Amino acid sequence: MSIDPYSAEVRRLFANPRHAGDLGDVAEAYVDEQGIRIRLFASAKAGKIESLRFRAWGCPHVIAACEAFCETYEGRAIGDLTAFSAHELLRSLSIPVKKTGRILILEDAVRSLGQNIRDGSCQILLRD
Amino acid sequence: MTVTGDSEKVSDLVYLDYAATTPVDPRVAATMASMLTIDGDFANASAGHIAGRRSLARVTHALEQLGVLLNVAPDSLVFTSGATESNNLAITGAARYREHRGRHLITMPTEHKAVTDVFRALEKQGFDVTWLGPDERGVADIEALAQAIRDDTQLVSIMHVNNETGVIQDIATIGELCRQHDVLFHVDAAQSVGKLAIDLDSLHIDLLSMTAHKLYGPQGIGALYIADRPGCHVEPLLYGGGQQRGLRPGTMPISLIAGFGHAAEIAAHSMAADLAHLRALHTRLWSGIRDLPGIVVNGEIEHGYPGILNVSIADIEGESLLLALEPLCVATGSACNSQDQEPSYVLRALGRSDLLAQSAIRFSFGRLTNNEDIDFAIERYRQAVTRLRNLAPERAA
Repeated sequence: MSIDPYSAEVRRLFANPRHAGDLGDVAEAYVDEQGIRIRLFASAKAGKIESLRFRAWGCPHVIAACEAFCETYEGRAIGDLTAFSAHELLRSLSIPVKKTGRILILEDAVRSLGQNIRDGSCQILLRD
Repeated sequence: MTVTGDSEKVSDLVYLDYAATTPVDPRVAATMASMLTIDGDFANASAGHIAGRRSLARVTHALEQLGVLLNVAPDSLVFTSGATESNNLAITGAARYREHRGRHLITMPTEHKAVTDVFRALEKQGFDVTWLGPDERGVADIEALAQAIRDDTQLVSIMHVNNETGVIQDIATIGELCRQHDVLFHVDAAQSVGKLAIDLDSLHIDLLSMTAHKLYGPQGIGALYIADRPGCHVEPLLYGGGQQRGLRPGTMPISLIAGFGHAAEIAAHSMAADLAHLRALHTRLWSGIRDLPGIVVNGEIEHGYPGILNVSIADIEGESLLLALEPLCVATGSACNSQDQEPSYVLRALGRSDLLAQSAIRFSFGRLTNNEDIDFAIERYRQAVTRLRNLAPERAA
């Protein structure tokens, strides 16, 4: 039984979010829901994601999940974004079930980002 | 069962959570350790043999030490398992004892859960409870209290020092008011016994709850003061061997009681120096963070208990703030059970928004805290706030 509410991976990602920040003049997606705010930035070339950045306001699991997403998806196909599922992040970061809803907000943002890259738009997905 | 967790020893951490519990004073620990084995005073204090009488002498001595600290007769004190039990015994016991006179009780929504939950249980049993709202600092409105007292009011329960904000209530004036109306006055003094001077001989307090582990004594032992005056008594909650005049039966934990007594004796001697030390630390900490944009004090800077500084800060998520502050050990603005991420009901009662309440951090320090600890806390807090603000996205227009 662990008495630490955060897995070692969540602690690592929260302590050193290398992808925190902005990318200028690229596709973006923004979600504001259930008190969580996430903004994602992506540059893409030849059907591949070149760079990802994020900004987030939320609990450590949300911030760690954003960083984990950015770490994992740079270099992958743009189409992977629209098919993104938070399931793998929930498992690999050992995120508590009660926080599933917060990570699904990231899922919304990632899918929106993928769509925006395809559309060449900078659509804001805003719900409150 | 294997329990895994953080690998840091407490000595590797900066502990600023003295309002939750204090470390045991080494002198107290030595007293207790010497009693546990065959060469010590471990025997059942109810036993009639010489070893039992030695243990009983230890109990008597501890009662005397507490009596000196509070300026009361030792036989007005009953040992319990801690402040939660003392509060339960005082409130439920007094309500039942005076039930034939009336069933109206008064308390505040900013009390500790060990008080508010007892009143809620009594409400379910048919008692009528008035919840007296605090002002924006958390202080009781004496005029409103006077107006709330009715002919059938039997008990007022208001804490001395608030465990979350450090706000100090005017227990002298409230006690006078209660005595004028022949209403029992209970004080949860878990945060103040051994830290602020309490002269029970001069205050109109009928029932006072305390615990050892907030004053450098052991966890698992507390006491309830019951004034020796007509109409002031409590019905017991437990029944058994008749120990402690039947008010709290059960074999007395001699080493815990001796530790409590020793901690009380040390507190009586060091209280003035402790308070001066805490005031200096409080001033140092507040001076180091007060310029941060959006910072709000929960409580009172000038007139609060100087061992507690509770601050909220705008646009910061509380759980992330707490993790970013590690290895600083502080309390959050969530409910008293830190596993619960709900915003503090105490801070909500002071008018704080959910967002501001959940960003609250309670720094609490004590005898062993030094300037280096405070400077580390200042640096860590400023870094964490800056980092989390830089991480957050602008709100969409």
